[in-house]
Amino acid sequence: MTALLLGALGLTLSLVVPGILAHADWPDRAPAAAVLLWQAITLTGVLCALGVVLAAPEELTRTSGQPVAAAALVAALLIAAVIVLRLLWSLYGVTRRSRARRAKHRMLVDLLDRVEHREELGVDNLRVLQGALPLAYCVPGREARVVLSDGVLKVLNRPEVDAVLAHEQTHLRHRHEVVMESFTAFYRAVPRPLRSRAPLDAVHLLLEMAADDAASRLAGPAPLRAALERLGDAVPLAEDAAPDPTGDARRRRLARLATPHHRSVALNAVVTAAALGLLVLPTVILVVPWLDVALDTFPL
Amino acid sequence: MALGDLEREVMTQLWDAPEPLTVRQVFEALSRDRDLAYTTVMTVLDRLAKKGVVVQQKADRAYRYTPAQTREEMTASVMLDALRTTEDQDAALAYFVGQLPPDALAAAIEAAKKR
Repeated sequence: MTALLLGALGLTLSLVVPGILAHADWPDRAPAAAVLLWQAITLTGVLCALGVVLAAPEELTRTSGQPVAAAALVAALLIAAVIVLRLLWSLYGVTRRSRARRAKHRMLVDLLDRVEHREELGVDNLRVLQGALPLAYCVPGREARVVLSDGVLKVLNRPEVDAVLAHEQTHLRHRHEVVMESFTAFYRAVPRPLRSRAPLDAVHLLLEMAADDAASRLAGPAPLRAALERLGDAVPLAEDAAPDPTGDARRRRLARLATPHHRSVALNAVVTAAALGLLVLPTVILVVPWLDVALDTFPL
Repeated sequence: MALGDLEREVMTQLWDAPEPLTVRQVFEALSRDRDLAYTTVMTVLDRLAKKGVVVQQKADRAYRYTPAQTREEMTASVMLDALRTTEDQDAALAYFVGQLPPDALAAAIEAAKKR
């Protein structure tokens, strides 16, 4: 019974809930809490899978004889170990490749930096690339960098540049790359026919919104909005290319900055509570009673 | 002076020079307005060569150094790398407005270079 319930919960969390959550509007109003909810959904999904693997053989063989139950237990432990190792290995690979790419990238932007273009901005970890293509991004890590191109400094005025910088510094300060790395690792660890980009894409956009919120508090919503519009429009081919990968995301970010923004404390609290409940409740309600019974009949 | 700043200034010297430079030439250009040891410049050039951004040539019994790519080429390849979509998606870098499909990006960089 435990295995069935955990399986149902796990399938709901990995197949049904992501589709609903990805298309909902309310996460735009509480992006940070929504990221937490995505994390809870993903982690609980994994825990459910592990729970099914461990509980099902035990429940099926509980009435069988000693050797059958022992073999089932060993097999269950092995499969659970494979799942955990696959996740850890994927995380290790994503982290290692991201770090290597960032290190190389940081080395090059440090060498290419046009110091004279950024002196008046007075930001230590900023690097400016020469080039008209407007480009703004950050290179996370222990020695993080924010990178702007000349083009950005030409297209945007000072408050807008400050808004972009505040946005990127928020990514760095809140270690958003760790969240992205873990979701990327999870995505890659799931076997191909089952994997879905929905959590990855949704979390990515929510992290942008969280950074927008911080930037809008520091620099004001109007400059941030202007920066988003100008930088998006300044890359002329972006809209022509099909399928446009950023158009919808940018529209959603602009829309929420346009309406007078009041942080909904209640929504944040509810979503955070839901995330924590999701992690804790299945464990308490399903796994603890099962452990009680299973340990009594432990075959090894 | 921090090593990173020195590396950047050495690169700028090499990029601005019309031909490959010796350690002595780089040293003389940089030590004009600051206190700097010849061996420091040598070390920096050696480090840059090991990183693959500078090429060492032997001519007339002296080593001469030249950038592996022009500043424009290296900038374009950094921008391409920054906007390249990889298997790992957005895990490595975080962007302000998102990524472009590779074709559009290459065209945009070309357009930016011409401007």
